[in-house]
Amino acid sequence: MPRFGFPRFEFVGRFSRNRGALIGACLILIVALMAVFASVFFPIDPLRIVGLPELWPGEDPEFPLGTDSLGRDILSMIVHGARATLLIGLFASAVATVIGVGVGATAGYFGGWVDEIAMRAAELFQTIPNLIFVLTIVVIMGSTLTNIVIAIGIVSWTPIARMTRAEFLSLRDREFVQACRSMGMSDFRIIVSEILPNALPPVIVLSSLVVAGAILFESAVSFLGLGDPNVASWGRLVGDGRQLIRSSWYICAIPGIAIMITVLCLNLVGDGLNDALNPKLRDR
Amino acid sequence: MAGELVSPTPTPTLRGSARRAAALRLLRRRLIQAVPLMLGVVIINFCLIQMAPGSFLELMTAENQVSDPATVALLRKTYGLEDPVWMQLLKYIWALLHFDFGFSYRQNMPVIQAIWIHLPATILLMVSSITLAVSVGVAAGVVASMKVRTFWDSLVSVAAMFFYAAPSFWLGIMMIVLFSVKLGWLPVGGMMKIGGASGGPLAGVLDILRHLILPTLALGLFYAAIYTRVMRSSMLEVAQLDFVRTARAKGLSRNQVTIHHVLRNALLPVVTILGVQMGTVLAGSVVIESVFSWPGVGSLLFDSVSSRNYPVVLGIMVLGSLVVIAANIAVDLIYMWLDPRIEIR
Repeated sequence: MPRFGFPRFEFVGRFSRNRGALIGACLILIVALMAVFASVFFPIDPLRIVGLPELWPGEDPEFPLGTDSLGRDILSMIVHGARATLLIGLFASAVATVIGVGVGATAGYFGGWVDEIAMRAAELFQTIPNLIFVLTIVVIMGSTLTNIVIAIGIVSWTPIARMTRAEFLSLRDREFVQACRSMGMSDFRIIVSEILPNALPPVIVLSSLVVAGAILFESAVSFLGLGDPNVASWGRLVGDGRQLIRSSWYICAIPGIAIMITVLCLNLVGDGLNDALNPKLRDR
Repeated sequence: MAGELVSPTPTPTLRGSARRAAALRLLRRRLIQAVPLMLGVVIINFCLIQMAPGSFLELMTAENQVSDPATVALLRKTYGLEDPVWMQLLKYIWALLHFDFGFSYRQNMPVIQAIWIHLPATILLMVSSITLAVSVGVAAGVVASMKVRTFWDSLVSVAAMFFYAAPSFWLGIMMIVLFSVKLGWLPVGGMMKIGGASGGPLAGVLDILRHLILPTLALGLFYAAIYTRVMRSSMLEVAQLDFVRTARAKGLSRNQVTIHHVLRNALLPVVTILGVQMGTVLAGSVVIESVFSWPGVGSLLFDSVSSRNYPVVLGIMVLGSLVVIAANIAVDLIYMWLDPRIEIR
């Protein structure tokens, strides 16, 4: 494609030269495939008891990661948990991005008192201790998946709003925007179809980092036992295994490692995207 | 001092009484700005109550833990449940202004008192974690930047990536497994030995410190990872500035330049981020406290969330925000002390 060919090729080249980012992207892909094909690999309900309780990893070849206190297959629970964990992370990040871009774009484009109010609101949401806010929302509105996703989105939008606002501030007086204005285009159309596409790349990078943060939030909420009772996410598996750390600490360790690897890879990908988009900052 | 000559200070540095006056001005401005913030927190709280399924009264009486009709009537009158919504909001604000957060029947004391007795443990954990995070993060960042692109730099980066991605509660549990269960060096949880330590107040302090180590590590290492990364890149950036070259040119050794000139200026971004993260540190202690049964606000919150003790939950949200605002003001004052050029808006 001649129109995008060169810069896009350069972007891919820069991204793939970053070894960490490449490894991260591959591992994320594997986790995502695991999530998608969970029921193909493990058709049996992961919460069904299939073996002896507390089998250590490697003790029985049928259960490579062992079984938990009730005799459920840990590998199967991890693979099925990937779906819940990734979906919650993605949707929470989407909620945060929609709120953040909306607030940031309005603030940056209009400036003045609109900007003042929006930035005060961002400061307010940064002041309330984030996890306490999430727990309060979840406990008052109820522990459903939707409420958890919305609650995490509500505490995660402020960095995205600040980033979007900064991009809009630097773009709103460029010639192409002034040209649109002189043509009589409405503010809404200028924001959505002219400035936003130009402002989006750094915002998308930030959103990928928010996914990582959202996964950590969700795991903390589930760990505390306030997650959706119908969903076995990785955080809940850590919480479930907590009682047995004296005898079988692997029940706790394995889901935690899964969370850590996923978050680590998302961070690596985010850093790689950032470097590829801002080559000037790469060597810092 | 030689360092003063080349410090990047375009305007004369404020000294003595002038600086104190500037600090007081900053303090006053910050306190005034805190008022609308607190109001915002209270309004969000009120919205949550209004949006909740079930009536306001059910929430404040925490699902039938109050059955005494006289108390219910009193609450009804206090919160003005027959009034329009805006009037209810005003009454709610009025009650909070008198530190009336309601009554917790679970602890059998006013909510404010229940939170108050749990606050010192949390603040102790917060302060020790932040101290650990800043000192480890700054030290590791300085080492990495001085040995940039060597084995040590990579080692620091890998460690920072690890601690940045590990969930703090999981790290805490793994440390309990290693240091308490397997090695038996440190206590599994709690804040002091049951029945108290024998041998005077000093032994008591040492006992608390022993209990403090693991929670501090679990909470602080995540932030240490962030500060390491920030400190490293900020050291590398400052090291390229002109005044550093001047200092080198006048014959100071590399270590002298790093410590007296680069370090102090490179600290500023760390302090900025520290201010932004006060809220998350307080929130992070909620999870850590539940892992280590640390008797602070986090444990109280967890207990109240599990028993749907709404007045306590909402009270913690308001008071938690207040602690964050106070901590932010403290950070601003530190910032001003570090960089006298800056008149913080």
